[in-house]
Amino acid sequence: MLLQIAWRNIWRNKTRSFVVICSIIIGLWAGVFMLSFSWGLYKNNIDDTVFKQLSHIQVHHPLFKEEVESKYSISNTIEILKQLQLNENVASASSRIITTGMITSPTTASGIKIYGINTLSEEKQIGLHENVRQGTYFKSGKENEILIGEKLAKKLKIKVKSKVVLTFTDIKSDMVSAAFRVGGLYKSKNISLDGVNVFVHQYHLRQLLGLDATETNEIAILLKNEAALDSIKKYTAGLVSNGEVEDWKELSPELGMIIESFNMYTYIITGIILLALTFGIVNTMLMSVLERIRELGMLMAIGLNKRKIFFMIMLETLYLTLIGCPVGLLIGWLSVNFLGKYGINISMFSEGLASYGFSSIIYPSLDNEKYVIVAVMCFITALLAAIYPAYKALQLNPSEAIRNI
Amino acid sequence: MAKTIIDVHNVSKIYNPKTVPVKAVQHVHLHIEEGEFVALVGPSGSGKSTLLNMMGGLDEPTTGSVVIDGVEITSLKENKLIDFRLHNIGFVFQSFNLIPVLTAKENIGFVLQLQNISKKEREKRVMDLLREVDLEEKENSKPGELSGGQQQRVAVARALASNPKIVLADEPTANLDSKSAGNLLDIMAKLNKEEKITFLFSTHDMRVIKKARRVITLVDGKIDSDVQQIPS
Repeated sequence: MLLQIAWRNIWRNKTRSFVVICSIIIGLWAGVFMLSFSWGLYKNNIDDTVFKQLSHIQVHHPLFKEEVESKYSISNTIEILKQLQLNENVASASSRIITTGMITSPTTASGIKIYGINTLSEEKQIGLHENVRQGTYFKSGKENEILIGEKLAKKLKIKVKSKVVLTFTDIKSDMVSAAFRVGGLYKSKNISLDGVNVFVHQYHLRQLLGLDATETNEIAILLKNEAALDSIKKYTAGLVSNGEVEDWKELSPELGMIIESFNMYTYIITGIILLALTFGIVNTMLMSVLERIRELGMLMAIGLNKRKIFFMIMLETLYLTLIGCPVGLLIGWLSVNFLGKYGINISMFSEGLASYGFSSIIYPSLDNEKYVIVAVMCFITALLAAIYPAYKALQLNPSEAIRNI
Repeated sequence: MAKTIIDVHNVSKIYNPKTVPVKAVQHVHLHIEEGEFVALVGPSGSGKSTLLNMMGGLDEPTTGSVVIDGVEITSLKENKLIDFRLHNIGFVFQSFNLIPVLTAKENIGFVLQLQNISKKEREKRVMDLLREVDLEEKENSKPGELSGGQQQRVAVARALASNPKIVLADEPTANLDSKSAGNLLDIMAKLNKEEKITFLFSTHDMRVIKKARRVITLVDGKIDSDVQQIPS
């Protein structure tokens, strides 16, 4: 009957119970939304990094990472690419020649990273052509065409069709300078890279560097499904004799840290929201206990022991949570699904976010496991919050409580 | 010779002993025998309710002891005391004090459920009690749907549910009109006579005092008089 009494007790003051249930619903929704929004933000960033910059797997000469010099190249690239493209788990694979150098405009100069790319395969690989804002994506047919970031163009005070000079060292460490004509200006979601990365035809850069026809500095592999990451990594390692095979988490350890820190976020954000919820529950349940002092005294007088009184108060809180928690999670899940489909446009902050590599449209998303964590934390919080009011009820002296007006 | 059911030995109760001491009950000795119908009377503040609460184990005496049916309740631990009350003492309070979310039937059955009595037996006992207090037709009414007199009759039925040896009633008629008070007293007098349940009332009400066979008067926390009478 205690279950019945506790259930009926919560409906004695409908408004108050409704307020508690609403605060649980809003608290959970806010928690789920905050988590899904931040995960959406990071996931966007991770996806951008994987699909627009790194790809899932990269292969380099073992020394290339320490010293970005084109002389540290991978041989037999054409055959490796052919084998990779035949693998059913590989969406695309492309090779890049990379070196660092200086770009000089008529007014100023800047340090850059030069990518010699196969323009067609990079369309598929990182969708570089989609980022072109002015001019065209290697449409002139000329070998000295260069694609540079809008940010760099602004710094160099140049525009499409301007002439620039690239200076770098070849594989023999001799200085090489070559003139290029700006074919297009691009803007990616990572503005910081836009000020550094420039793209030229691979065959032209190869000639300038003196690399062999089968040599490149980087092979990037994009997978159809990330689940195949480990197997393709092994497969690639078997194809490359002098290369180091790394996945995106190894290439960009900060992304791995983002995932780890997000897990920590889950607990912190949920904890903060639930802490606020705790005060609401303590306040309401305490009010509910103080309003029923005489009744609780009477229950003790007629034979309800303190353990059962405690259990009854805890049950009342549990019921409120059992109503609020699933509703809050459901609304949260619906919001995440809806916004995950249509996205949240935060373009008014996009300039600032872009400099950190974030997109202006966020698609919230959340793993099922996180919903479970939020729900469990909510239940634990509610029960912990009910302990104090229940403890207050236990402190009552039946004879004094019965006399309470 | 009837058995002593309540033995109050040199009981005193002092509130706020360390600050402003209030001597509510002072060195009271009292023996109540099984089947008595006793009224505890006296002016406000004379210590009636305090003495009644101590006899019911709801309050702890500052000194002295209370023995109910051979058990010294003043030495019992809290949970044992609650359990003792559940099985041996019925309470009727001035302000009805029913569980507002339960029906009349459920209020009475609640005590039986605390005693782990089977559902079948519980239902029979509840209906018998409702019949006894003439509220069979109100079995599914919640306290808010009952009049003051009806609520107090439910409270009496609840007090009797556990087959207690003693029923302690603190001003049970204080909030009732004459007719309801009369009905309630008739029911209690009948139960006292037929089932030999000991009734002890704290009261100001002359109607109750007239029904009692023994009237104990308290003044300033002390027994001023203790007289037997023929109830009217």
